[in-house]
Amino acid sequence: MSLKHAIRAATGLALAFVGTGATLAYFEESIPMSLNPLYAKTMADHRAQELVFDRLWFNDAITNELRSRVVQKYQVAEAGRAVEITVKSGIRWHNGQALSAKDVCFTVDAMLDPGTPSTVAAHYREFITGCEEKGPQVALVRFNRVLPKPRERLGFPILPASEFNSTAISPDLQFSARPIGTGPFNGKRGLRMVTFDAFANTHHMPKIVQMQLQEGGDPLVQTKTLINNNVQGIVVVPPPQRPDLSASDDVSMKAYDLRSWWYVSVNSNKGALSDKRVRQALNLVLNRNELRQYSIGVKPGDKNSPCEFISGPFIPASPYYNVEVPVQPNANLSRAEGLLKQAGLEKLGGRWHKDGQAITLRVGMLANLNHEAPDLLSQVANQLGAAGFDRLTSKISADEWDDSVMAGQSDFDLVIGKWSFGLVEEVNELFHSKGRQNMFRFASSEVDQLLAEYEDAVTDTEQRDAYHKLHKVLNDQLPYLFLWKLDTKSAWRTEVRGNIVAPYYYFTEIDAWSVEG
Amino acid sequence: MKRWWIRPLVRIGAAVSLPVIVPAVITVFIWSLPGDPASLICPPNVCGGTEALAERWNLDGGPVQFFLGWLSDAARLEFGNSWRLHQGFPVLELLETAIPTTLTLIALATAIVSLGGLGATMGWLPRRIDPILRVVGLVPALVLALAGAAIIELTFGFGSFSDSGRLARLAIGAAVLGLSDGAFTGAVLGTRTTFETESKQRYVGIAILRGEREMTNTWPNVAPALIGQLRARILHLLSGAVVVEVVLRIDGLGDLLWGGTLRQDFGVVLAAATLFAVVSAVLLLIQATAETLVALHVRKAPQGVRLEEGP
Amino acid sequence: MSHPDRGLAGRIRPISVAALSFSALMVAAALAPEYLGNIEPDQALKGPLEVFPFGTDTRGRALVDYATQGARVVALPALAAGILVGLFGIVGGILRCVGSERVNAILQAFSEIVGALPRMVVILVVALLVPRDHRSLLPLALTWAVLAAPGAMDEAAAVAERLGGSRFVEALRAHGYSAGRIFLVHVVGYNLRPVIVRQGAETMMQVVFLEIALSYLALAENQPSFTHGDALMSWADLLKLGYPSLIPSLGYDSGHALVLALGLLGVVAAMAIAIGRAARAR
Repeated sequence: MSLKHAIRAATGLALAFVGTGATLAYFEESIPMSLNPLYAKTMADHRAQELVFDRLWFNDAITNELRSRVVQKYQVAEAGRAVEITVKSGIRWHNGQALSAKDVCFTVDAMLDPGTPSTVAAHYREFITGCEEKGPQVALVRFNRVLPKPRERLGFPILPASEFNSTAISPDLQFSARPIGTGPFNGKRGLRMVTFDAFANTHHMPKIVQMQLQEGGDPLVQTKTLINNNVQGIVVVPPPQRPDLSASDDVSMKAYDLRSWWYVSVNSNKGALSDKRVRQALNLVLNRNELRQYSIGVKPGDKNSPCEFISGPFIPASPYYNVEVPVQPNANLSRAEGLLKQAGLEKLGGRWHKDGQAITLRVGMLANLNHEAPDLLSQVANQLGAAGFDRLTSKISADEWDDSVMAGQSDFDLVIGKWSFGLVEEVNELFHSKGRQNMFRFASSEVDQLLAEYEDAVTDTEQRDAYHKLHKVLNDQLPYLFLWKLDTKSAWRTEVRGNIVAPYYYFTEIDAWSVEG
Repeated sequence: MKRWWIRPLVRIGAAVSLPVIVPAVITVFIWSLPGDPASLICPPNVCGGTEALAERWNLDGGPVQFFLGWLSDAARLEFGNSWRLHQGFPVLELLETAIPTTLTLIALATAIVSLGGLGATMGWLPRRIDPILRVVGLVPALVLALAGAAIIELTFGFGSFSDSGRLARLAIGAAVLGLSDGAFTGAVLGTRTTFETESKQRYVGIAILRGEREMTNTWPNVAPALIGQLRARILHLLSGAVVVEVVLRIDGLGDLLWGGTLRQDFGVVLAAATLFAVVSAVLLLIQATAETLVALHVRKAPQGVRLEEGP
Repeated sequence: MSHPDRGLAGRIRPISVAALSFSALMVAAALAPEYLGNIEPDQALKGPLEVFPFGTDTRGRALVDYATQGARVVALPALAAGILVGLFGIVGGILRCVGSERVNAILQAFSEIVGALPRMVVILVVALLVPRDHRSLLPLALTWAVLAAPGAMDEAAAVAERLGGSRFVEALRAHGYSAGRIFLVHVVGYNLRPVIVRQGAETMMQVVFLEIALSYLALAENQPSFTHGDALMSWADLLKLGYPSLIPSLGYDSGHALVLALGLLGVVAAMAIAIGRAARAR
């Protein structure tokens, strides 16, 4: 590390110390499994990595404008099939080395390396073909097609070339526990805690000296610990604990926009469910008001509800949401019955049968969603039971979810889940017949065509129109029964100031955070 | 028994082979789990590189190849890094934290249990408190551990993983292990019953008539049984330590075993299971040694005895 | 004159307690509903006096459903495990009476190795191997019984050795008894019975405690249940609901759930102790 940088860093840290000298401790949903951005699996991983790394581009938390802390300038090249990026000089990695174009290209090469078994990288492989260093600070990133808004697609964190021997990056390298980034904090994962030490840089000046993350245990105990000022924040507060925290004068609740929506995915390749009318009937069987009331605690007519019903795969605030497609808040059992009979099902002894066989629906739900929506699985199952379907319910572990359900190999009929958008609000992977996240291999030529229309769209309006049509078609074909969008809430002590919570990544604006008192 | 040395010899043989047999058996078990660790990182149909990862982790050649590779690395104390449980952490580092933690936990719990046995032997714990002990013994470790975890977190807050917080967790964990699930109660009642049964033997009565002390006569005969009971209790405590460590979030071998198995982190599971086997082996050796010493003592010709000659 | 306590008269109380508690467990298991009742938020955390007989949970559902479903989860598997351990004990005792040193040595080596296996790992692996639709406590209970077998066999063998082992058998053969009568009636029936029945009863209790631990750990680790279908509740859910009442600062009124859970465990423990007492030696 050069003397100049050492002085700069020391000054920055000293300023930070004079500013607050504070440590910020908070509870997370779980301790991050990996601090290597290539192996981010959970939202806790993404949030922790946001403190350690800089993404090439990010969305401003307030204006939603695309910005970068590491890119000085960029220009579209090769007729829209490449972007030339000039990274800023003077930015240091946590190991003291300077950020350069070599690191940008190393990151791209690592993501493209077939020896890097990363789901994160798999997404970028879809459209990035390579990277070339044009100068010490200039990198040219190439795509396999023209991308109308390339910056939106380049939101990956940059990795340090100096820390790796090869572009084939394995998840069990020590980098996963002791990462090196250019972000505002240098992170170290322990067995129960992750510690983030402030690292002043030319592009970051955190006011908090140290942050500490622990896995929160029992939500009751977490709540009490926060109220007793033994911790400063809880990132995700389950709905049952929100009233207690809202009532405390020392705690303020913050909305955390995960851009997520909840759904019941339907196996449209299995038995009676392959008939669209049966799926539509199931949609009419669900009483969403009741589900919401008993699992989230929101009654019909509640003002400022954190939970709004949806009729398609976007959140209502999204420009892609088609407001003309109505939601289905209540059940309509008579209409559902009519549709089921039209589909050739018979009701014998109060149970629906197809070809003489009673229909038993296997319903699953990702296990950790039970914290946010307690008993949702049993409620959905009860409503299906009341409508005349036998059912087998099952919680699904995270491993089974990734390995079997999302890989399209599960035998469930219905799966309750939550989808969170990242930077880009795209649903192609969910609904395209060849989509990597099309969990039941739903296939519709009409949907594929609309998704292609979106891909080929050049303007925002064209994209929006394509997705509006998609919304309508999906509401008819129902590969998913769309439930609601649920706001996540965080709780922070009032001593924590300037705590702007960025959508999805949370800590994007951590430089502005401070702790008083 | 004519060939009294067979039992201690079998114990010694078992002790020597346990550190190899136990990981081999565990390998067979965890290999049979659905899925494989490499495809859990990234399913092959979603991203490439899974085969390369399987090769790196020696998972591509079957369980025998995997086990032999692991064994030869383990002999050089090379356990690699954790794959999923504490991704990127050297397994040896994890063990260096876990071993003293679990040993301390078990030692403290054993001390509590042994105090119960001693109390029963010396008559400090009267019979009339037996019903109370039985009730206390009924409380499952889970309830006490949950309450203990909540108390620690409320008391220490975020500092519950500081040095003092960890000490508190260990102390509460030891108390939970030592008292619940009948551990303390079993030690008291079991030790008392063993001595009482032995005291009813005819030779004890004769020894008392000769003016000897009951304890000096019964102790060598009950020692093997007591040592066996103690060994069984320690193994029972080790078994219960898994639940206590997970609930109280103590970074011990039990927590590594549980989390590692759940996440199919083979390196962590095998290393921790081998250490469990080593602890068992040490206990077996102690038991075999004690058995041998007792057998030799019992068979030693008595000193200073003058045989009367016949008329 | 025989001691009154040692005859049948002296066993009536433990037999009654054992029969009563066992019947209660089985009846509760038989009466368990397939699904929990409807959610009624207005009835949340009501005590037994308000909602008879056991009060409600945080969602207003009756705790009696938790109790019966939990009984259903544990009843038959615990019984099966107890019987299996008893059978192992019988085998251990009989083999010691056979008097073969080689057999004894092999058995001992097997016992030491099985005893050294980390039980919870083995149990967890078996739990993860059971197909989702067939998830139940039974395979885990039987596995636990196999892992606990060495201890039972050792104890039964020790009792057989105190009898005199093969010399006892020889003596009875000299009286003209058949091998079947010697082993089944004299060895097992008269002498091993107390140990085997006690071991079986203790294993039943251990299986119930095991189920509670596994169910809680599944909840804590965001896993599907290891011991039962996810539509059922277990006694671990009662404990999880009730334990915060032990900490006054949490201000959580769920003591009735904790009392119910401990009461149910008390019934199981009373059953185990009573069975052991009822079968004790004269």
